[in-house]
Parts: sequence; C-alpha cells; structure tokens
Amino acid sequence: MSGPAQTSAQTSAKPAPVRRNSGTSRLAAPTRGQRLRYRMKVALREPTTIIGVLAAALFAYLIVVPIISMLSDAMRVQFGDERRIKQDVGELTWYYIDRVFLSRISHDLFWEPLVNTLSVAAGAIVLSMLVGGTLAWLLSRTDMFGRRWFATALIVPYMLPAWTFALAWTTLFKNRTVGGQPGWLESIGFSPPDWLSYGQLPVTIILALHYSPFVILLFGNALRRFDSQLEDSARILGANRLTVASKIIMPLMRPSLMSAMVLIFAKCLGEFGVPYVLGLPVNFDVLATSLYQNISSRQVGVGAVLAGAIMLIGIITITIDARLMREARRFVTIGSKGSMNRLSPLGILRMPATGFAALMFVLSVGLPIGTLFLSTIMRVPGQFNLDNFTLDYWIGTNLNTVALQTGILLSPDLWNAAWNSLRIVGVASITSGILGLLVGYVVARTPVKPLGTFLRQVTFLPYLVPGIAFAAAYLSLFAVPRGPIPALYGTTLILMLALIADQMPYASRAGIAAMTQLGKDPEEAAQIAGAGWFRRMTSIVIPIQKGSLTTGILLPFISGIKGLSLFVVLAVPSTDVLTTYSLRLVDYHYTQAANAVVLIIAGLAYFGALLGQKLTKTNLAQGLGN
Amino acid sequence: MPKINLSGVEKNYGGNSANAVADLDLEIGDGEFMCLLGPSGCGKTTTLRMIAGLEHLTAGEIRVGPRVVDSVVEGVFVPPERREMGLVFQSYALWPHLTIERNTDFGLRLRKMPKAEREQRVDQVMKTLGIEKYRDRYPSQLSGGQQQRVALARMLAVNPEVLLLDEPLSNLDAALRLEMRAELKRLHAEFKTTIVFVTHDQWEAMTLATTIAVMSEGQLQQVGTPNDIYDRPANRFVAQFVGNPPINIVELGDAKSEVSRLANAYLGSHFADLLDAGSIGIRPEAIRLADDERGVSEGALSGKAEVTGILPTGGSWIIELTAAGEKLFLTTHQSPEVEVGEAVTWWVKPKALHVFDKAGQRVEAADRLMRPAKLH
Repeated sequence: MSGPAQTSAQTSAKPAPVRRNSGTSRLAAPTRGQRLRYRMKVALREPTTIIGVLAAALFAYLIVVPIISMLSDAMRVQFGDERRIKQDVGELTWYYIDRVFLSRISHDLFWEPLVNTLSVAAGAIVLSMLVGGTLAWLLSRTDMFGRRWFATALIVPYMLPAWTFALAWTTLFKNRTVGGQPGWLESIGFSPPDWLSYGQLPVTIILALHYSPFVILLFGNALRRFDSQLEDSARILGANRLTVASKIIMPLMRPSLMSAMVLIFAKCLGEFGVPYVLGLPVNFDVLATSLYQNISSRQVGVGAVLAGAIMLIGIITITIDARLMREARRFVTIGSKGSMNRLSPLGILRMPATGFAALMFVLSVGLPIGTLFLSTIMRVPGQFNLDNFTLDYWIGTNLNTVALQTGILLSPDLWNAAWNSLRIVGVASITSGILGLLVGYVVARTPVKPLGTFLRQVTFLPYLVPGIAFAAAYLSLFAVPRGPIPALYGTTLILMLALIADQMPYASRAGIAAMTQLGKDPEEAAQIAGAGWFRRMTSIVIPIQKGSLTTGILLPFISGIKGLSLFVVLAVPSTDVLTTYSLRLVDYHYTQAANAVVLIIAGLAYFGALLGQKLTKTNLAQGLGN
Repeated sequence: MPKINLSGVEKNYGGNSANAVADLDLEIGDGEFMCLLGPSGCGKTTTLRMIAGLEHLTAGEIRVGPRVVDSVVEGVFVPPERREMGLVFQSYALWPHLTIERNTDFGLRLRKMPKAEREQRVDQVMKTLGIEKYRDRYPSQLSGGQQQRVALARMLAVNPEVLLLDEPLSNLDAALRLEMRAELKRLHAEFKTTIVFVTHDQWEAMTLATTIAVMSEGQLQQVGTPNDIYDRPANRFVAQFVGNPPINIVELGDAKSEVSRLANAYLGSHFADLLDAGSIGIRPEAIRLADDERGVSEGALSGKAEVTGILPTGGSWIIELTAAGEKLFLTTHQSPEVEVGEAVTWWVKPKALHVFDKAGQRVEAADRLMRPAKLH
C-alpha cells in the first residue's frame, strides 16, 4: 500500500495542502527494509517488548501446553490400556471418546453426571435468582431497615468456601446411610430421609445460598444505576406500574440478570467440594466428581475426555456471557447522566422485608457457621448438656482415637497444611500479582500490538477452564518427566504453577485495568523529563500502582486459600493444604476436626477479605473469584 | 536556522486506516511560538508527539537544530528522554504520588544537579508561576489551574530549548484560560523558548502564536502569521475553520440561489475562467448595509435581502439576512438601525472578497476585481 498514491486519491476532491518548503531536497520514500529496521529499533529500544516475549513464552508453557497435552491424552492410547484397546501406547484412538459418550458405561460416566450438573445448576440459578433478586431490590431500591449493614452481611456467604455449607449440612442432617458420627437430627431420634440428607436437594440449596451474593451484586448494581427518570418519563406518558416494569425496567435489567445466571452456571460446572461431600453417599455424581473419580482411579484417557467436555461447556458459557456483557454495556450509556435513584417506600411491609433479609442472613451465614462451631465443641452430636461440651477437639491431648490423638490445633498435620497453604498460595499470589502488572504494562505499552493481544488472551484462557479440568491438564503434562522438566507430581511446585496459571485471568485483568486507567501520560511525562525505562518503573509506575498491586495479590490469595478443586487433584498427603487436609479428615470421618479446619479456612478467607477492604477502601466482594 | 524541521513526515497507525499525518513538511524557527491548529482528529497532537519522540514515524525525518532525532531512512530514533524537550500534557500528567516540589525537581534530580543549585532553580520557577505555597501538597489537593501551573513549572525547571504544549488550556474554565494565555505569552517572552502549541481553539491560536500551522485530516493546509491566516486563507477549509461567526460561503453556479447568480455575474465580468465554478467567501464583518442602491460604494458586490434575525452578542450584533432563501450573516459593532422584516441592500468591497477555485484553492482576486470590468 503505497502512501503517496493513496493520499493523492483521497484528497483530490478536497483542497490540496499548501506546503512550506524547508529548502532541503525531498526525501525518498523509505524502503521496506528501512521501515523494518526503524521499527525494530523503536521496538527493541526498551525492555517492554522483550519482557512481553518472555511472558508470552512462559504463559504458553504454563497455560496452553497443559491444555493441549490433556486434549491429546484424550485421543491417544494410555499406558496400561494397550491390551484392552489392542493398540500400542501413544497411538491415535477414538476409544476414550467412544467410552465417555457412546459406550454402555457412558451413562454413568458422562450423561447422568451431565444431567445432574445441569439440573443442580438450573435449580441453583432459579433459587438464587428468587432470593438474590428480591434481596437486591430490597437493598438498592427500597427503604428497608439496615440496608447498609445487610449490603455487606449478605455478601459474606460468597467469601466462605462453598463446602463450609456442605459440612454444616451433614453435621445437621447426616443419617445412618454412611458411618461415622450421626447428624444432630439423627442423634435426637429423628432420622432424616436420604433425599434430604444427600444428593440433589442439599447440593442445589447450598449452591443457591452460596451464589445468591452474585445476583445481589450484579443485579443490585444494575438496579442502582437504573435512572428513576426513565421510569418517570414512562409514567408521565401514561404507563401504569405494570407496564413500566415489563416494558422499561425488565428489558434494561435483562442483561445483568442473564449475566448473573451464566456466571452461576459456570461456577456450578466447576464446583467440586459440595457434590463430593453431599453426593458421594448416594452416588450422586456431577461432571466434576465424575472427573475426579476417573483421575483418582488413574483413568487418564477417560479423565482427559471428561475434562475436555467440561472445558468445552465452560468456554461456551463464558462466550455467551461475553456477548451478554457487550449487550449490557450498550445499555449503560442510557440514563447515566442524571442518574436518580429514588427509593420505594415499603410501608407496612417494611418490617417483614427486613425480617426476610435477616432470615436469609441467618440461614446462609449464622446457621452454618454456628452449627460447625458447635459441632467442634460437642462430643456427641446434637446433645446440649453441659458435660457434652469440650475443647478437646481443638486443644485436647491423648484422645482415644486411631489417628489424630490431639486436638486439631496441637496436631502437626494442621500446621503443616497451614504452612503449605500459606506458602503455596502466598508464593503463587505474589507471583501472579506481579506477572499480572507486567502483563498489564506490556499490553498497555508495547508497540508490537499482536504481542499485547496474545498476552491478554492467553492469560484469560484459564478463566474458561473450570479448576478441576485445569488441574487434570496439569496432571497430564507434569505427571511424567518431559525433556529437561522432571516429573512434578507430588511437589509443591506443581501446585504453585497450577495456581499461578489459574489466577492469571484475575491478575492480568487487574493489571491491564490498572495500567489502562493510569494511562500513558504520567510515564511519558517522566520520559520527557529525561527518565529511562528502569527509572520510570521504580520511581513512577510501581509507586503509583502500589495499591492495585496489593489488591492483585490479596484477592487471589483469599480465593486460593479457600480453593479446593485445583488442589484436590494435584495435592498428595505430603503437600496437603488446609482445604485438602479437611477433605481428608471428612473422608476419615473425623467430623469435628474437619469442621474445625473448615472454620479456620472460612476465618482466614473472611478476615483476609475484610483486611483487603480496609487496605484498599473498596468492596472486594465484587472482585472475589472462586 | 530553524529549530525544528519536519520533512516528509508520515504517520499511519496501521491496518487500513488513513494516514494520521501525511507527507508533512514544516519548519519551526528558533524562538517561535508555533500553534498547530485544527479540528480534533486532524493529526496535530500526533505531530506534536512525533516531535517529542512519543510516537514513531511511518516515513520521513525530524531534525532539531543540526541533529537528526528521527529518520526512517537512516534508521535513527532518539528516545524522548534524550531529546531534551519539555511537554505539557492536556491531562497535566502530574505524578500523583509525589509532592509539588518533587514533581517540579524530578527532572533536575535526574540531571544530578547539585542540591543548592537545584533548590534555587525550583524556587525560582515556582515563584514565577506562583505555586511556591503549594510546595508540600500533592497534585490531588490542587485546583485545575494550579495543577496546570505545576505541569508548566515541571517542564520549565529543566529549561528546555523546545517546549511542547498539548491543548494545555482546554481543561480550564474561561477566566482561568484567559489568565493562563497571558501567562504563556509572558513566559515565552521571558524564557525565549521555542514553543509548539497544539490547540483546536482559533482564539487561542490567534492570540498566542507568532506562526500558525492549520491542519486538517493529516494534511498541512496553511502556515502563516495569525493575520495571514485570517486575511488570506489559502483555501476554503482554512477560511471556514478560522473566524467566528464563520465566513459566508457562496457557491458559484448555483442557479437556484439569488446571491450565487449575483456573485457569478459580478465575478464573470472579471474572471471568465471562474464562471459557474468555485466559490466566494465573505467574512461577516465585511458585509455593509445600505438603505438602497445609492449607499453602495462603487465596484462593490451588492444585492437585496430581508433582515430575518438580529442576535445581540453583547457589544456586537449578528444580523441574519435572507436573499431568496439563501442566508448571509454579518456582524456589526454598532447598534443595528434595521429591524427584522426590513428590506435592505447589502454590499461588500471587492478587497474583502475571498475567491476560491473549483478545488477550493485561494485565487488572488482583489487586484483584478478593482480594475474596471472588461466588456464581454
């Protein structure tokens, strides 16, 4: 595309420019080679591009390669399956895909878990929409009592690990179907039926409680932004309340509601802890638990197919969400000017509405936490005699049990797991926070546009892949030595790497947002003043971004501490973190100890979030991933 | 010797986009106050940023004094931090984490100036701009005008030979803007710095610049003194962009328009080649009113019209005339003696007519128009 020819064609209809000639002879147009040399010189003058290239290589290895490796596992004969498939290890095969989707056991492997996943997700979505939607409206558009307090309190369930609720549920409703300590209801003589104790119903209710804060946040924000003047205009033109609600409010709210739905679905898809605790006793499998069982029984090929399927559903879901968000953004511009937010008086319903909010708080926070705590200080479940209470499970010694003969706080295993949690999650969060800022910097600054695009997309990729499928991918790549990289399974390094990769979507988005918001100007001003790259980083960019770097480290840390699905696949007893440790205790029926550990995790996550809120003066709940 | 010399400079942001700046030749003299003037998106800011080194070129060369700082053909690129210029951003771009004093002495510290000398210099600059009392505050604690002064002080502290200003006044309110304009003019006189100033505000350009470069769609349209630009616009774009209320443009050869026919006949007697082609421009202040033909000066372009609007603007008036559907606007500083609905005769001296050819280029017409008409 030659510049001059194009220009003259464009300007023929317009006045030709007047030139003030400099007296020097006209310069020849640069050749291709000269242009390239000049551009290389500009691009390589600063380390930005080099950092970008290194980061791109790192993420390709940490994110893209594991996924490809896993997908190729799904198509190749795995070790130990040669005889059954009658092909050599490594050859291409449809066997696993056939087995998962078409064979006789495909029903148990895939189709039933899929139906369960879908029905649990659908139930959770409907329930959380009803509860969360009502609460969002009460919080943002009415004169309900204590709105400020509830606005924070009702978000708390999201800060707690989801299976906190699952453990609380078993503490209350466990029956004789499985061994170990009975639930409270059982021990006071009322035996709850299986459908109430395990499986679909409790899983649905718990996920709904856990994710309704999503609806409160997303829908509530949309409601708050909604301009009352839009409502007023319709009323003035003669529309009644019902018409206004159906023709004005609902269409404008639809994107945010749909978006909340889609996100809840994506979260349910990857949810492992809750169905594991509550589904296992009655063989209620969802996709995540089916995948877990195949991985733990070393069905690598089948596991890979399942993980690929989960991934595919995840990608479809998030794509839909991206569409919806684009639609939502189209609406945002409307009425953003004189955003008036008028509260509807509830009148006689003011008390009952407040009561409803309070009830939801008790059900979703008070009851589970209270139950769990009480269970850790009671010898026999559900008996409220004074002599039944004890602190033995926390700080006792010489207990009459097979293992774990001390209270949980005196057990070296707990401290080992806690240390692992802090170490692994801490290192991963700090690393991903810094990497996120670097990615943000490169994306915002590099003159090589495709590099920025690649970095943004590759760091976003893990967001599409539910944690458990991502863990399966890591297992596939790092379980055996490859080239110079030794087998990493069983080390803390694999946990750190997987966690870093898993956190990159949040970290890089935070970094890109921070760098974009900062803009180029402050740095360019320093450049004009004579500061080189290193100087600009140390005295301008990093000091200004201190706050967002803190958030970028703290947020992943909190979600990492309560994360389970990634660790459950990759951790071994020696690399136990708090979450996998408590799950092991659940498996061994050390109920009190397991509950105590979960309480510790919940406490860490909650106070971490609170601390973050204090430090950054923002509402962190909105940014919390799972 | 010119201070800054741009030759054949071209900037394309890639893809299929049109050139942001196309084939630009411009020289800026030492000590000049050059305004790059044009509507938004015309490439003026891009040009400024290329001079600063914040954007690289697609083709061409930039020299500062004898030194080539940027050349695609020679493969030279001097990074911004080594061009020894000053740049004041539209957003001011003060560093939010540094106090006003640290913002101001940042460049001096980089240059490792001894402490005593540095403090003296900072004091001096701060006093000049009247910000010495904010020394220990942070940028967020200052008003827009004060921030603007800090942004200037920060750049003046290092005493750059070239000072670049990117619409620095656009975020200020009207009163402050006037004050800062006077201040800039004073600073220019005091520091003798070469200044390149980007603005879309013609008033700003007119009042400040020693030279104005008008740009449109990446092309340089005209370079000249403010009076040149206003009195002898090189083409229709410049004529229409500069001046408020805007210049009246009459297309020649528009058979439906009474004014067009008049103008065509008037011009045709002098310029056979311009018949039915091109256009004429009449500045609003050049139009005079008369009660009838007798009041029209000899050799003038004149016609009849109805007064259809009188808009007082405080101290002056804009009068809207309608002649067979076509509107003409004129301005006057005397209280108008006409009323809406009145029929009047308007006339324009030949000297005040701007004639543009078919391509929109200026045609020097005044001399020829004043000679007696040829017979045809």
